[in-house]
Amino acid sequence: MIKLNETPVRTARNFNINNIKLDNIEIRRRLKPFQSAEVFLESSKDVALREIYDIVLEYGICDLLTEQASNYELTVNINSKMKNTVMVDFKFDEENDYLVDKIFIDAKPDTKSNVIIKYTSKDDLEYFHNGDIKLRAGENSEVNITFVNLLNTKSNNFIAIENEILDGAKVNSYMIDFGGKYSISNYYSNIIGKNANNNLSTIYLGKENQVFDLNYIAELYGEKSSVNFEVQGALKDSSKKHFKGTIDFKRGAKKAKGNENEACMLLSDKARSLALPMLLCSEEDVEGNHSTSSGKIGDKELFYIMSRGFDEKSAMKLMVRAKFNKILESIKNDELKNEIIYEIDKRLD
Amino acid sequence: MKTNLEEINRNIYDIKNKDDYDFKIKKGLNKEIIEEISKQKNDPDWMKQIRLNALEVYNSLELPTWGPDLSELDMSEIATYVRPKTKLNSSWEDVPEEIKDTFDKLGIPDAEKTSLSGVGAQYDSEVVYHSIKEDLIKQGVIYTDMETAVREYPDMVRKHFMKCVPVNDHKFVALHAAVWSGGSFVYVPKGVKVDIPLQSYFRLNSPESGQFEHTLIIVDEGASLHFIEGCSAPKYNKVNLHAGCVELYVKDNAYLRYSTIENWSKNMLNLNTKKAIVGKNAGMDWVSGSFGSKISMLYPMSILNGEGSKTEFTGISFAGAGQNLDNGFKVIHNAKNTSSVVNAKSISKNGGKCTYRSLVRVAENAQNSKCSVSCESLMLDDISISDTIPTADVRTEEVEFSHEAKIGKISDKAIFYLMSRGLSEADAKAMIVRGFASPVSNALPMEYAVEMNNLINLELEGTIG
Repeated sequence: MIKLNETPVRTARNFNINNIKLDNIEIRRRLKPFQSAEVFLESSKDVALREIYDIVLEYGICDLLTEQASNYELTVNINSKMKNTVMVDFKFDEENDYLVDKIFIDAKPDTKSNVIIKYTSKDDLEYFHNGDIKLRAGENSEVNITFVNLLNTKSNNFIAIENEILDGAKVNSYMIDFGGKYSISNYYSNIIGKNANNNLSTIYLGKENQVFDLNYIAELYGEKSSVNFEVQGALKDSSKKHFKGTIDFKRGAKKAKGNENEACMLLSDKARSLALPMLLCSEEDVEGNHSTSSGKIGDKELFYIMSRGFDEKSAMKLMVRAKFNKILESIKNDELKNEIIYEIDKRLD
Repeated sequence: MKTNLEEINRNIYDIKNKDDYDFKIKKGLNKEIIEEISKQKNDPDWMKQIRLNALEVYNSLELPTWGPDLSELDMSEIATYVRPKTKLNSSWEDVPEEIKDTFDKLGIPDAEKTSLSGVGAQYDSEVVYHSIKEDLIKQGVIYTDMETAVREYPDMVRKHFMKCVPVNDHKFVALHAAVWSGGSFVYVPKGVKVDIPLQSYFRLNSPESGQFEHTLIIVDEGASLHFIEGCSAPKYNKVNLHAGCVELYVKDNAYLRYSTIENWSKNMLNLNTKKAIVGKNAGMDWVSGSFGSKISMLYPMSILNGEGSKTEFTGISFAGAGQNLDNGFKVIHNAKNTSSVVNAKSISKNGGKCTYRSLVRVAENAQNSKCSVSCESLMLDDISISDTIPTADVRTEEVEFSHEAKIGKISDKAIFYLMSRGLSEADAKAMIVRGFASPVSNALPMEYAVEMNNLINLELEGTIG
C-alpha cells in the first residue's frame, strides 16, 4: 500500500481526501526503452531537442514514483517565438506497455511556444504510465501546453507536472484526463515572478470504476501574479473523482489574484465526487475566490434537447460536450480536438 | 499607521477571582483520577463505566495529525475537576457574593430578567445556579443541570448520552466522556414552543484547569427552542482546556436554534464538540460567534437523518494576535429532500490565524438534497493568515451542491466612499467590519447582537487607525 498525492495542508483523516492509497502498483526497476514515442518537430534554431533530463521535481506524486528510473527522457529548449507545435506522442502497445517519461521544457525569455504531450492506447491491455514534466517559463515568455490522456480504463496513469513561472511569463495549461483505471495527477505551479500568470483548464471524464485523483497546487509569490484553475468533469457508472485544488497566496504576493472553479456532472447514482478546494492566504492585499459544484444534468435542459428529437443518450452527450466546450475550443490543433471529441462520444456510449 | 497594543483590555471578561474552591482534583489523567471524579459526583455505576471506558479510548487515540499544533497541551498539568465553594442554587441571593458578582458583571441576572425564560450558570466544573420560568415547568419543559438530570431522568439521559457524539469520535471526545462535569439538560415536550430563549453561561475561573461541561438537549416532535450558550474565562499564563460536548436531538417537525458567543481567554485551548441529529421535516440552526481562545478547533455538525430536514449555519471567527482559530461546520445529508445553508465568515488581524474547515457529505440515499456553502475571509493586515479548507463529498447524482469562498482585504473604494461622507478611516473600517459580521449579529437576539458588536469593537481597538 502506498500513499500518493498528499495535499499540502492536511484536513481531518476521516474526510478521506488528504491522500489516495493504492496497492498492486508495479514499480519496475529495470525498464526496456519505450520505442513508440514520436516527436513531431525537428531541432532548429527555434527549438533544441535533447534526449536527456536532469531535473528533480519539488512536489511529485510520491517519492517512489518520482525516483523511479525512466525509459524516455527529453529536454526541449524553446529559443524563439515558434509558429509550429512541439508534439510528443506516446502510443502504448503490447511491446511498449510500461513508460516512465521525464520531460523538461525550458522556454527562454520572450519566447512563445505550443506544446502537446499525448498518451494513447488503442486496445484494452493493462499499461503503466508514470510521467514527470517540468516547465520553466522565462521572463515574458508564453507557453501553451496541452496534456492529453486517452489511455484505456484498465491502465494506471500517473503524471506530475511542475511549472516555474518567472516575471511577466504566462503559462496556459490544458489537461484532457480521460484514461486510467487510476489516473493520478499532480500539478504544481511555482508562480514566482511579478505579473506571472498561470491558467489551467481541465476536463475529465470517468466511466466504469475509474478513479481520478487531481491534486493541483499554485503558490503565488510574485506581485500582481495570478492563477486560474477551471476544472470541468463528468462521471458515469461507478467512477470517482477526488479534486484537491490549493491556491496559496504567499506573503509579498501583493495584488495577486487566484480563482478556482470546479464543476462535476454526476451521470449515475453510483458515481462519487469528492472535492477539497483550498485557499491559503498569508498576504492581505489579494483577491482569492473558489467555487465548486456537483449535481446531475438539469432535467429541464435534457427535456428541451429531447423535445428537439434527440434520444436521452444523445441529449446527455450534447450536454456534456456543451460543458466541456469552452475548454475544447481553446485547443487550437483541430485534429487533436476532433480526436478528443470522438473519445468523449465513445466513452459516454 | 497601525497601533498594535500588546494586550487589549478585555475588561469584564478578565476579572480574576481568587482560586478558591471546595475541591480540586489533582492534576493529570489516570484511572484513579477518573474514579475519584466519579466518586465526588456520586455517579451511578453505568456512568462510572462510561468514564472508565472513555479513558481507555482516550489512551488509544492519537492527537489529530491536522489542524493547529496541540503539542503544548500537557494533561499532566491540567486539573480536570474543580468544585466551587457552593451548591446548586435556584436564587441568585444564595450564590456566594464573589461568584454572583462575576455573573452580575457578565450581565447574566439582568438578561434573565429581561430576555430569557431560563438560565444556567456554571463556575469551573459545577453549575452554581439554575432556574426556569414557572409556565415552562407547567408545560413539561425540563431545564436543569446534567448531574440532576442523571439522577432524576436516568432513562432519558442513558438513552441519549454519548450516543449522538460517540466516545471514539476523536481523542477529546473520549477525554470529555471520561471527566465531564456540569452542563445543562433540556427536554422540550411534544408540540411545546419555547418562545423566549434559554441560556447557559460557562465561566472557568481556576488556572491550569479544564472545563468539560455536557449539554444534552432533546426537542421533541413539533416542539421548538432557542438555546444560547456563552462562555468566558480570565487569562492566565498557562494553558486552560475546554473540551465540552453538546448533543442535540431535534425530533420530527421540531426546531432548534443553538447560538453561541464564545469569548474564552487567550490562553484557552477550545476543543469542543457539538452535534445534532435532525429528524423528519425538522430544522436545526446554528449561530456562532468565536472571539476568544488561543487555539480553537470547533466544527458543529448536523446529521440530517429525517426526510425533509434542514440546517443552517451562520458563524464568524475573529482571530487576533497569538490566536489560531480553526473553526467550521460539518453536515451529513442522510435522507431525501434535505437541505443545508452555510454562511461562514472570518476576520484575521495582528498576526492571528483563521481557518475555515468543513465537510459536506451527501449520502447515497439523500436524493433531491440541496446544499449551499458560502465563506468569506477578511484580512486586516499583512501579517495575519486566513485559510479555507472545505471538503465536499457527494455520493448521489440527484443533488444540487455549490460552494463558494472569497478571501481579501477591506475594499479601498468602500473606505474612500465612507470617508467622503465624513467618517474617519478607523470608523469607516470598523463600520465595514460590523457590516461584514452582520449576518451573524442579525441572527442573534438584540441583547446578544449588541454584545457581539461590543466584542468586535473591543477586538478592533488598537488595530485600525
